[in-house]
Amino acid sequence: MTIEKRPNATADKNVPTQAPERAPIIAPGVGPKLPGPPGVPGTERFRLLAYVKQESMVRVDKRPDETVLTWPHLLRAEFLMAMLITALLVVTSVFITAPLEEMANPSVTPHVAKAPWYFLGLQELLSYFNPTVAGVLIIPVYLGGLLIIPYVDRTPYKAVRDRKMIWIFFLCIMVGGLIVTFIGSFFRGPGWNWVWPWDGLYFNL
Amino acid sequence: MTQQHASYGAVHGPPTGEITRRSFMRRVLGVGVGLLSLEFLGGTLAFLWPNLTEGLGSQITLGSADDINNQAPEWQNGLPFVYNQANLFFVNVPAAKARVAENSGGQVTSDVSLPVPDPGADVDPDIAPEDRSVMALWRKCPHLGCQVPQLCDRSEWFECLCHGSKYTVIGEKRDGPAPRGMDRFEVLVENGVYIVDTRQVISGPPPTVMTFDKRTASDITEHCVG
Amino acid sequence: MSNGNGGNPVVRWVKESAAWRSLFRQPYPSTSRTRALAVMNNVFLHLHPVRVKRHAVRYTYTFCLGGISFFLFLVLTVTGLYLMFFYVPSISRAYQDIQAIEASVAFGSLVRNMHRWAAHLMVLTVFLHMIRVFYHGAYKPPREFNWVVGVLLLFFTLALSFTGYLLPWDQIAFWAITVGTQMATYAPLLSNESAFFMLGGIEVGQGTLLRFYVAHVIFFPLIAAIFMIVHFWRIRKDGGISGPV
Repeated sequence: MTIEKRPNATADKNVPTQAPERAPIIAPGVGPKLPGPPGVPGTERFRLLAYVKQESMVRVDKRPDETVLTWPHLLRAEFLMAMLITALLVVTSVFITAPLEEMANPSVTPHVAKAPWYFLGLQELLSYFNPTVAGVLIIPVYLGGLLIIPYVDRTPYKAVRDRKMIWIFFLCIMVGGLIVTFIGSFFRGPGWNWVWPWDGLYFNL
Repeated sequence: MTQQHASYGAVHGPPTGEITRRSFMRRVLGVGVGLLSLEFLGGTLAFLWPNLTEGLGSQITLGSADDINNQAPEWQNGLPFVYNQANLFFVNVPAAKARVAENSGGQVTSDVSLPVPDPGADVDPDIAPEDRSVMALWRKCPHLGCQVPQLCDRSEWFECLCHGSKYTVIGEKRDGPAPRGMDRFEVLVENGVYIVDTRQVISGPPPTVMTFDKRTASDITEHCVG
Repeated sequence: MSNGNGGNPVVRWVKESAAWRSLFRQPYPSTSRTRALAVMNNVFLHLHPVRVKRHAVRYTYTFCLGGISFFLFLVLTVTGLYLMFFYVPSISRAYQDIQAIEASVAFGSLVRNMHRWAAHLMVLTVFLHMIRVFYHGAYKPPREFNWVVGVLLLFFTLALSFTGYLLPWDQIAFWAITVGTQMATYAPLLSNESAFFMLGGIEVGQGTLLRFYVAHVIFFPLIAAIFMIVHFWRIRKDGGISGPV
């Protein structure tokens, strides 16, 4: 591939900067010099050869078995999964009825008032800390922390050992969240006191 | 710069700092669209803002002290009056203080000067609202919003069932996870009739405030919750 | 056009009619070329590229978690639409409507159960999908923005589930929403005013039910669908799903 490069008047013409390291570089001046626009000194063109790193999916050295056709391979997988989930849902729904208690009554507080299960971790944490502190810390750390993960971990490496810090952070909020959600769901009873699940389950889906 | 021949890859447009007519128009357009979006957002908020005319969120007429005594005879003996329509405890402060002092086994002393609620004294501008003889406490627990049950007859505290927050009869926090005392509303008196203004919620006092009933949770042998 | 039609004249007549051929522009996809065309020329299948990386179709690579989440969203849309025919968001009617759906609507109990279990399952699969994506480091460039879109979709999933939780208007619903919205007021930037706005009043009541209903049946589904379009589009634009660790 031939690139025409025109360094501006102040740049050092002897350094062809953009070429990749391993690419054989034709030394400046070897290629034929071409005249620049008239009356502007130092704008001569010269040519050089460079390898451009391949980035598109269509590789020249593509082996024949690297990809498969979407129809049928991917569509079959999707269809089977959809059927499996449908079957699972229908069977579950036939045998397990969604809970429905008595009609809402603002003047009767149940002995256990719990948020939906995915917020029970937060509810559990709110019983440890001052709610203002907990709210100020936990919600932004969780949501904001998840949002900025790709902008904090900038390395291209994916192995666990190459991104230890972000793994630790992620594991902390995931495992920590799982534990407090579990405690809030199954180990808390009236008055938010500790209750073993076999002594009474205070959990609604 | 304009003299120089345009080269490959050069940024087409003015150098930084220079405003052309085109970039000026673009910025005006951007600012205009931004303003329009803000107006739309503000208008949406205003449109969707709740418009309450009755129940909690409006001015509620409770009646005179006699009306309340007729409905709940224990009110004059210090038991807070439960007003369900607006989820309130209407506390007869002097009587409630006397009641707590009497039932606390000597742990609490009451130095109440006003013997009974006096609507005349309650409109006296010289008396600070917190020193007046009636209080409207919101029954919603400031922790996570559960309804606070009527005074526990063992501790003479309000004890929330949900997470065990505990408050004195005048709504000061003594125990549990709540961040502050019970929220309350302004009480107005017109011709001897109590009107609770629920349009504005007054946040409860910080947990360190102790004006009356300075017992801690461990001072009390029996609780209703926890 | 007569591949495998045999001698049946009716089938042949149908398949050679102008209407059939305007609908199906090529014979049944049985060669590589027609299979590629089938994916390329169909607006729904066009969500996918014609060819995908071999590891992308392995169940144990993705566990189909993103796909299951999307499928559950579709199930929830359909079952939710069905339920809307029998539900009025009024505090005097909502609870009775739910009881009527369970007791007297044909398959009503089944549809309500499916809607509820699919909703819980969707929250779970979206979470698991996020964990899977993190495990494979699939948020790395050029996929950073799609991770952000995904986290927002997680948030919208939770919002959909939470707003729907109130609608049966029973004790579980009422107190869960009371506790949940009170927790939200502790977050920074959210205050009593924002709770007042969310609830349509000082406490959970008629205003809340109507607000949550509108948010549940149109606002959040629409927003989530828009973000899903972006999410799927970016997967393709960023070169398909990420490679193994």
